[in-house]
Amino acid sequence: MDDPKLVEDIVHALDIEGGSAKRRPVHTIGIGATGVFEPSPVAKDFCTAEHFQPTEKPLEVAVRFSNGMGLVKEHDGWSDVRGMAVRFKLSNDRATDLISMTLPVFFAPTPETFLQFATAARPKECNRETPWQKIRDFLKLQIPMPDPYPGQETRPNEGATEFADKHAYAQPAVLQASVIGAPVSYVRASYHAVHTFIVTDPDGTDRWVRFNWQPIAGVLNTNPLDPPVGVYLKEDLEKRLAHGIERFSLMMTIGETGDDFNDSTKQWPPHRKRVMMGLLTLNDVPKDQEAHAEKLSFNPWLLTDGIRPSEDPVLKIRKDVYEFSSNRRGGIPCPFSGTEG
Amino acid sequence: MSDDGGWLNNYVNSLPERGWFKFLSKYVVVPYWVWREPKPKLPGGPRPSSQPSDNVQRMMNLLMPLKDTSPIGRAKAVMALAQNVDEIFAGLDNVGTVHSARFLLVEDYICMISVYDGDFSNYIRDFIATIGSVFDDLMHLVEGGEALYPCEDHVEEFIDWVKAHDLFQAPDYAINLLHVQDEAAGRSPDAPPHELLSLPRELILQLHSNRNISLGGGYRGYPGYSAAQVRDKLGVGW
Repeated sequence: MDDPKLVEDIVHALDIEGGSAKRRPVHTIGIGATGVFEPSPVAKDFCTAEHFQPTEKPLEVAVRFSNGMGLVKEHDGWSDVRGMAVRFKLSNDRATDLISMTLPVFFAPTPETFLQFATAARPKECNRETPWQKIRDFLKLQIPMPDPYPGQETRPNEGATEFADKHAYAQPAVLQASVIGAPVSYVRASYHAVHTFIVTDPDGTDRWVRFNWQPIAGVLNTNPLDPPVGVYLKEDLEKRLAHGIERFSLMMTIGETGDDFNDSTKQWPPHRKRVMMGLLTLNDVPKDQEAHAEKLSFNPWLLTDGIRPSEDPVLKIRKDVYEFSSNRRGGIPCPFSGTEG
Repeated sequence: MSDDGGWLNNYVNSLPERGWFKFLSKYVVVPYWVWREPKPKLPGGPRPSSQPSDNVQRMMNLLMPLKDTSPIGRAKAVMALAQNVDEIFAGLDNVGTVHSARFLLVEDYICMISVYDGDFSNYIRDFIATIGSVFDDLMHLVEGGEALYPCEDHVEEFIDWVKAHDLFQAPDYAINLLHVQDEAAGRSPDAPPHELLSLPRELILQLHSNRNISLGGGYRGYPGYSAAQVRDKLGVGW
């Protein structure tokens, strides 16, 4: 661990009132599912990693969907970033993870700036705009801050916006997070692994790539004008998988010289080359959620031959932050050596 | 949906949908901001880039205003194109960098929508060389076209005219509109950073100057590949 204090500070900055040190500091509420992954016929031409090689039997996967907030209480209907962590189970009891979220861009380019952002965006008491302030906003051709949800006492909106006004790098993520909404289902959202990874093809050529999962069922949010439903996402997934399957395509976008490979606050243009790498099929919600999801310790650095991390410093510190968090909550130990949480 | 902040709060939340407030916004608020913070009209066409996939499958959305917008005038524009289908198809084949091109008649405009590879000016230069006579017919029918007739003798002027009538392409990501505006005003982007909440106003004011825009660069089924690469891969040659 390069900077244990920075790791600890980041985790503590993410801890909020209403959360728990016995749970994840963010993406606290979640549900695990299981299924299989089948690589596309062309995936092997771009990456030699085991999960992209043709097999007779599809690869087993464990998936955890989550709400981004660090609250123990569920607020599925609130506008929030959602997460999708996928563990591909490889041969010989090995595994590799791909961690993604519905936000396609990150808040800060370095661990230090992320700590500043996380501190600034810690939930504060909701600052409801008065009608007169809203009228002033309309007259300035601005959109007022949304009213708090029923029962919502704190939120990160004001702090995050104030921070973004002073730090342009945070603006893409804060803007998109402010309008992200709530999906009707965890399987009706696109998920982005915002960091860059390097994949190696059979000829030894390296490519700098970003992955995202696209739902075959399509993307659909709830109507933001309707009253938010408190709890529905877990039940929705259980019902869907009790009666059938749900699928995601894994798409890989290939970066070009000139793109930011090491800065996840910079989105690549949407017309970079992209490759369909495989199909994920979810088929069950295990009954023992503790073992199949909550105790699991996903980590974006759990990779395998043929795919490696970029030099993105935020990706780099995630390895230790995830491990610290896992140890603190008593998760199944990370595959990396023993940091005390 | 938010909690109930009282009847006044709910009423104010509904203002953007109320007729009187829309009227006030349209005839007072927006004109005030247009006066206070005027935005120059942003140019059409793709912005310069040295990156490979930015230079293939570029979009042209050319809106040519008709002189005569009556059904007869509109029919003349249709006929000018319909009588030259062979010339258009053969010409675009010969340009060699075109993925797709089509003409539309939308309200008072005859529009050419095309997807091409490479430099914008060279694309226009090439299609004037190959289908210039079709545009000669059209130039008699569109505003400002007479000065460009015949197109083959006014290539550079024609390129400028097309640039002026090609739609401004809004950035793929909303926040980048602020940077495009900064550059157009000769400022360094984000120095200092803009207030995030100012984005809706900046968009409204830009739409006052650019009434019609292309919303980003659009979707591509096979991004990053040129027409030549696709045709070669498909084995259909030129």
